[in-house]
Amino acid sequence: MSDRGFAAQLAEDLSPQDLRHVLAVFRTDVERLTGTLTQALQAADEARFRRAAHGLAGAAGAVGADDLEQACRRAMTGAHPMPGAMLEIDASAQVALGDLAAFINRLDAAT
Amino acid sequence: MTGTAARVLVVEDTPTQAQLARAFLAGLGHQVEIVESAGAALVAARDWNPDAILLDIDLPDYNGFELMQRLGAEGIRTSVIVVTANASINTAVEAMRAGAVDFIVKPYAKARLAVTLANVLEKQALVAQLATVKARLDREQFFGFIGASVPMQAAYRTIESVAASKASVFITGESGTGKELAAEAVHRASPRAGRNFVALNCGAIPRDLLESEVFGHVRGAFTGASADREGAAKLADGGTLFLDEIGEMPLEMQVKLLRFVQTGTYSPVGSSRVERVDVRFVCATNRDPMLEVQAGRFREDLYYRLYVVPVELPPLRARGEDVLMIARHFLIQFAREEKRGFTGYSAVAEQALAQYSWPGNVRQLQNVVRNIVVLHDGDRVEHDMIPQTVRRGAASFPDERPIAERPIAERPIAERRAVDRPVFDADAPQAAPRLVRPDAAPEEEGTEVVPLAVMERRLILAALRQTGQDVPRAAALLEINPSTVYRKLQNWRAEGLLPAG
Repeated sequence: MSDRGFAAQLAEDLSPQDLRHVLAVFRTDVERLTGTLTQALQAADEARFRRAAHGLAGAAGAVGADDLEQACRRAMTGAHPMPGAMLEIDASAQVALGDLAAFINRLDAAT
Repeated sequence: MTGTAARVLVVEDTPTQAQLARAFLAGLGHQVEIVESAGAALVAARDWNPDAILLDIDLPDYNGFELMQRLGAEGIRTSVIVVTANASINTAVEAMRAGAVDFIVKPYAKARLAVTLANVLEKQALVAQLATVKARLDREQFFGFIGASVPMQAAYRTIESVAASKASVFITGESGTGKELAAEAVHRASPRAGRNFVALNCGAIPRDLLESEVFGHVRGAFTGASADREGAAKLADGGTLFLDEIGEMPLEMQVKLLRFVQTGTYSPVGSSRVERVDVRFVCATNRDPMLEVQAGRFREDLYYRLYVVPVELPPLRARGEDVLMIARHFLIQFAREEKRGFTGYSAVAEQALAQYSWPGNVRQLQNVVRNIVVLHDGDRVEHDMIPQTVRRGAASFPDERPIAERPIAERPIAERRAVDRPVFDADAPQAAPRLVRPDAAPEEEGTEVVPLAVMERRLILAALRQTGQDVPRAAALLEINPSTVYRKLQNWRAEGLLPAG
């Protein structure tokens, strides 16, 4: 699903109704899991941080948000300190949500 | 399962992944349940009985590998497809070792999931089909039959194949091989199973009553016909009419039966009214029906009407391991009925049973086991508990000659039609088969007055002759317990009134 742009494969595989539903769930996942990451960072809870990063990586991979997925996977390895990883995930999450909004706009315009 | 809706359990704790899987699977026509933890997956696998599980490895409570172990430990054989973000060979190998049937790497397209799931479900369907076919080929029980030998498997297959049609079935086999069981199996496996199975023993009914038994009669048709009475043909309407010992049917009755078989119509005795019924015919004989035709004792046209699908039941001596399988079955059954502790046979006892030629076939084996259970008790049956007849017979080599080539005296009891004497009553006079009617009035004239004990012995031996030495049936006719018959026989042998064994 990589290298094809945000939600490109999903648009081929799903009906518009299912596509909108999955993307809505993705938005909720991003908001919930970035919140969890922030809480884990504040509590210095590395295990919880990695677990939330794992969940967000899976959600991002499913919709083709490749940069966000890679940022989460790097965070899962523990190679970078949590604050730096959080900044990277946050930035990628904002881009992914922007891509999502643009995709939905195109979808609305097409229907 | 291929091409039809399957039940797929998705075990995934990331909602985006879970909803994506749901959308893909629902789009493929499958039913989907989603759970977010391994514990919930175990409960759903038990309760919902999914055809396949789409399993994420990283779960909040315990991982997917452990879940597979727990599923296996509980005997849940659902096909598991592991879904992992880690595409390494190690993960794949570990998943397959843990019991997964395939794995998919995240993120995956709908087409990939569709192919993987279709392959898994097709394999599952093939395994189920194989198990069904294997079960059919290796059956140890079939309706009332017990036995897994090759000739019995052939008989089971023939019965199963013919059951759905209306074709007449002709069952042959020595006495005691289970011809009535086979007839019942044909009926019970057929679409007629919900209607009557009516069995009529042509050899046990006096010839002047046979027509009335088959076709019924109207009031006044003959002396004693005080009311209209339906015959077996009417009772079997929509069901199956089993004519046992068809070879004993008088020729004049064969003409009437032929007309009935050809037209499905008949007239009750004493009536000109024509009745039409829908009956499936199953016949049986322990004689060679073609030889009976050649000898002029059985009409050729009736033979060809009835001998449509032959079912040949093998003698017990040709059924190998079935002897012990049946002996064990009867032992458990009779021990329960007689409140005995028997659970099996000693090796020597089994050897004796296996080596004996069982001329009376399953019925004789049944009687021998009943005899053992009634007269003894213990945990297992020992060699000396087995009747002498069997022990003596087992000690000599079995006669491999075809029955027809043996002298009459050396033929199995069932084959000695002219000298059909019981094993334990070699000197008793032969009584003609009689129809026993529980409500019949006692004879008042011409009854010989003898000591009650003599009369009791005569009656019991006569009942045994009439039932082909089937002790439970004889006891049922006499309305006494089979144990009583066995004990009487043992006492009479001890008193020298019967040959030993």
